[in-house]
Amino acid sequence: MDYTKQIKEIAGKLFSEEKIDVFIGYRNSGFDENQVPVLIHHYQDVDQLVFTEKSVFNLTNYLKYEHTRNKRVGLVVKGCDSRALNLMLTENQVKRENLYIVGIACEGVVDEAGQKAQNCLECVMPDSVVFDEMLGTPSGKREYQVNADIRELDGKELTERLTYFEEVFENCIRCNACRHSCPLCYCDKCCIDQETSTLYHGANTTSSAFHALMTWSLHLAGRCVDCRNCEKACPSHLPLHLLHKQNEKVVYENFQEHQAGMIEGDRGAFYKYSMSDPDDFIM
Amino acid sequence: MICTIDKIIQETPDIRTYRLKFREESLTEQFNWMPGQFVEFSLLGSGECTFCIASSATRKGAFDCSIKRAGIVTADIHRDLDEGDEVGIRGPYGNWFPLKDLKGKNLLFVGGGIGLAPLRSLIQYAIDNRSDYADFTILYGARTSADLCYKEELEEWKNNESLQMILTIDKPEDTWKEHVGVVPKILEEVVKPKVENTKVITCGPPIMIKYTLMSLDKLGFAPKDVITTLEMKMQCGLGKCGRCNIGSTYVCKDGPVFTYEELNTLPDEF
Amino acid sequence: MNLTTYSTDSAGLQAFYEAIINAHETYAPVEKFGKYDFKKVDSLAGCDPDSPIPQTMSVKSLFFPKSAKVMKYTATSEGTELSDTTEDPLAGKRVVLGVKHCDARGLQVLDAVYKWDYIDTDYEKRRENTILISPRCDQAVTHCFCTSLDYDVENLDAMDVAVIHVGDGKVYLQARTEKGKNFLKENNKGLSAANGAAKEEMKKQYDKFAGSFRLSMDYKEINEKMQDKFDSPAFEEVSSNCVSCNTCAFVCPTCHCFKISDEKIRDKGVRYKSYDSCNNVYFTLMAGGHNPRPVKYRRWRQRSMHKFVYYKERFGVNLCIGCGKCTISCPVNISIFEVVNKVVNTMQE
Repeated sequence: MDYTKQIKEIAGKLFSEEKIDVFIGYRNSGFDENQVPVLIHHYQDVDQLVFTEKSVFNLTNYLKYEHTRNKRVGLVVKGCDSRALNLMLTENQVKRENLYIVGIACEGVVDEAGQKAQNCLECVMPDSVVFDEMLGTPSGKREYQVNADIRELDGKELTERLTYFEEVFENCIRCNACRHSCPLCYCDKCCIDQETSTLYHGANTTSSAFHALMTWSLHLAGRCVDCRNCEKACPSHLPLHLLHKQNEKVVYENFQEHQAGMIEGDRGAFYKYSMSDPDDFIM
Repeated sequence: MICTIDKIIQETPDIRTYRLKFREESLTEQFNWMPGQFVEFSLLGSGECTFCIASSATRKGAFDCSIKRAGIVTADIHRDLDEGDEVGIRGPYGNWFPLKDLKGKNLLFVGGGIGLAPLRSLIQYAIDNRSDYADFTILYGARTSADLCYKEELEEWKNNESLQMILTIDKPEDTWKEHVGVVPKILEEVVKPKVENTKVITCGPPIMIKYTLMSLDKLGFAPKDVITTLEMKMQCGLGKCGRCNIGSTYVCKDGPVFTYEELNTLPDEF
Repeated sequence: MNLTTYSTDSAGLQAFYEAIINAHETYAPVEKFGKYDFKKVDSLAGCDPDSPIPQTMSVKSLFFPKSAKVMKYTATSEGTELSDTTEDPLAGKRVVLGVKHCDARGLQVLDAVYKWDYIDTDYEKRRENTILISPRCDQAVTHCFCTSLDYDVENLDAMDVAVIHVGDGKVYLQARTEKGKNFLKENNKGLSAANGAAKEEMKKQYDKFAGSFRLSMDYKEINEKMQDKFDSPAFEEVSSNCVSCNTCAFVCPTCHCFKISDEKIRDKGVRYKSYDSCNNVYFTLMAGGHNPRPVKYRRWRQRSMHKFVYYKERFGVNLCIGCGKCTISCPVNISIFEVVNKVVNTMQE
């Protein structure tokens, strides 16, 4: 998977036709094998752009920052990224007319070890679902399968699970990299910050990490698109996907096989009512 | 150290002054501070905030902190604290007004809104040592007459013949008999201070400071004769937590009192 | 100071480590979720003190933990009582194995801020009671640039005991401080006095290490030029892809900013001191709404200027030690090395 040439061309064209103010893509870090997200503002910088299976980071994350808001933006999205973008469009975080979207029919990205990333193996929608231009040959939607880690976790005793997660949360340093890397965590003020909320204090204790991460994951229930920006961002390498995949499973099973961001304008599992929604928990 | 709230004075709709006394009386004698210093004030359970001491050590027995309702902790303070309640106090921290340099000089205080609080400690100090200073002028302004702090004391100062007191509010009001107009304007048009042998001590909202400094410049004051106290977010007060860094300066240790000359050497980040 | 040097081989070193673990409270890098962190250990199994992989979290977490209790209190209608937190889990006598040298130097840098003016007694006690035993790196990894930052590879004084692998399984141990010297006197299982060849062989190892760096910069030049770069437009460019999380500061061996927070349940409460970072948008936000650093590039400017200019100005040492931890952990791989170089080399209009 290498679309470097095409993306350079597209970006160059957009700049020369003055259709965009900024193009968000990837460039080689120059220091190691990794790629770095880059915001290009000028035609002459277009040559920096690359796109290979190392283009991991979900670029829609940058749409939530001031410096791209209300600007005309071109960006590259893979399948999962485009689902996040769909949700951002639906939730009125970005304006469609401000975007030029280069969709990718993604063949999967690789992790640090050079292996195909786990979420790509489980990917349900590798093709971009919203785009102005598509690169590659779409391979279509795939069937949803329950994540292997979740199956294993479900098989464990409740106390065993608690012990496991306590260890996870003990290793959290509350750097909030997960939240800041998540394109769908776009709130200006977050309820898990000490400075803006009276619900949580800011101490980095296990219990506060527990509360913060649980609240965070519930806010993303039915919205998480499994791009795993959070997990890749985590300096403590915590298995954050477990929280989201569990929610995903519950939502899929209980809300008419809902999958986040698949359809433009779909407001998500918790925002629409259907007669067949489960109601046995209502007294 | 634990302090008991002796008295709460509602200064303006959103500013209250808390008069604090030490629970252990022995501490009252030990606790000494200079005008311009600050304390860390904790409402246990809500958090800690930095406030300047708004009264002078020449009037011992208790000390005042004037608190404006602004953030989470100050909102809790206003809501939860009653007279007789206990709060935690650390301090005093920071530097103080250069009393030695001020001796024998004309003093001109320029304050706005809650900015009178840090000045008040020095004003009280100077009133109590009146003979040390030459002319004594206070210019104080607020948005409306209701927003003026220390109303009783302002009255007292006005009646004090050894000093000149000028009050102003931004917009005219029916019952208002003093000046109307923003502080820098009044400073230029009404006060017309003499530059020679005068030290200006100013504090107020950032926008007022900005224009006051410009006016003072116009009037011919040298930057070294203009003293202000900085508002920066502080947390530890001990030169550790790094919050109040401006360049290599720690506002909590090297400040909060700076001359305008010193501020000019700092990176523009306050 | 007369340096005491011992020699041993791989097996002897293992025996030396094992004896330490048995006799002392010992911390060593332990693997968890695929990264190495300092944890308390009771056997050599499961930890690798000489692993070349840098730890994710720096050793500062053993001296300035991510969250520490500073006081306790009870507040009832009868009155308020404050109490010290008596149990400091990090204050006891202990040994830390496998500290990378950059990390250990980070502690020296931290000493400067913790020991000026008010002395942080907790920190001082933890420092005093700790013996740092650290392997001299063999090879610089991708993001290392410690040698560029005013640092002499032969100066190992940041560690109490240096472990130098000179090849062929041969290992030298050198006490670099008085504390380390006394420690080795009492704990010398598996060690024997070194012979005359030691000095030369160690020198060779240092040279080999110094030659293995991919990154280098001229620190003097950077430090000098950075001073006038406060208004550099490059800050805006280099910070444009930053996501404003706090990771870089939390993993950094020398970042020392913290916040204070209260946790209260009914009458009882604890006050904590936890990591905070200047990259956090709320870091300088004042209650009145004024924020001197409301945008990303200003926060990055503060971070890089503090690292390369301010701290040196104030305390005489550089706040960045070139360990590369921030780059490794950054969600978007921003390299501080690249940032300062770009800032210095960007022309100002």
